[in-house]
Amino acid sequence: MTWLIILSMAAVVFVSRHLLLEPKLPIRLSKNTLTFLSYSAPAVLTAILAPIVFVPEGQLAISIHNPYLTCALVATILAYVTRNTLLTTVLSMGLFFILY
Amino acid sequence: MDPAELTSITTTKTKSFLAGAIAVMPLTIAVIPWGILAGSFALEVGLTPVESQAMSAIIFAGSAQLVALGMIKAGIGIGSILITTLLITSRHLLYAMAMRTHISPLPLKWRLGLGFLLTDELFAIANQTHKGDTPAQHQFDRWYALGGGLTFYFGWNIATLLGIVAGQSIDNLGELGLDFAIAATFIALVVPTVKKPSILVCVLVSLMLAVVCAVFAIQAGLLIAAISGMAAGMLYAKLTNEGSVVATDADSTQATVTVKKEDNA
Repeated sequence: MTWLIILSMAAVVFVSRHLLLEPKLPIRLSKNTLTFLSYSAPAVLTAILAPIVFVPEGQLAISIHNPYLTCALVATILAYVTRNTLLTTVLSMGLFFILY
Repeated sequence: MDPAELTSITTTKTKSFLAGAIAVMPLTIAVIPWGILAGSFALEVGLTPVESQAMSAIIFAGSAQLVALGMIKAGIGIGSILITTLLITSRHLLYAMAMRTHISPLPLKWRLGLGFLLTDELFAIANQTHKGDTPAQHQFDRWYALGGGLTFYFGWNIATLLGIVAGQSIDNLGELGLDFAIAATFIALVVPTVKKPSILVCVLVSLMLAVVCAVFAIQAGLLIAAISGMAAGMLYAKLTNEGSVVATDADSTQATVTVKKEDNA
């Protein structure tokens, strides 16, 4: 069963990456679909990261004592100011391991 | 082709390959804790070491792997796992569309190879090369993309292996807070994309719904939060006529890839 999950996930991921690179494919996506899809990266990435930050132990933790939240705020500020992925991740993770 | 010319072409390829490898290095370093988490979490969920490594080697999609592992652990069926995978990975349709003009004319083995390696990180560095280029240089470099893509692939798999090894010898690796690496990397990737109010609306709606769903342990939380965020962002953009996009009438809503490309130019 695990192999079935791994192989079918691999197929889904590969098709999503390769499908639109295929020159024989006549692509006609509606403009609305394209606009909708253009929000997918921020929406999906946020939906993955938000529970890690706000619900680290299965319960809402909006508090200065939640290191995930504190360090996520620092990371947000760093990312906004520096626009530097490595600096943002390394500094906020360093702070996280000090606080955690 | 004379030998000197051949040598010069080979050198150019190597240089491009190495330039790509160097460009992706910061992102590869940032992904190490996350790879360790992917490897150790897979063991914790009950996968064998070979299955755990195979996820990174064959699927090669960190967020999809980690979310799927969480769903396997919760005993959720393969159908829901695949639908969630499709949603998480749907952004690659956009990446592929944006790179279609560069990659689709290439031979099949290049299309398959670069298609397999097309991650957020590869897309990010492949686009950076085009920014400061003069029109003459404004050409997609397949060797640069391959260098970046392969480097990231091996970095991800080595980090996974570290996680598998550490997971077997260290207890409670999951309690070290490695999952913050996901949050930190995604914050670093999301924040710079918030260039318009509608994207901010999209992010805030996704954030609030994802938190609410997590608090109430709703399994489809990621789907609900992401799709609602996307819809909210699009709705906000339509209601406020954000941007300079002229509204098209119902008959001409069919847009080809070339339209999208012009938007990006």
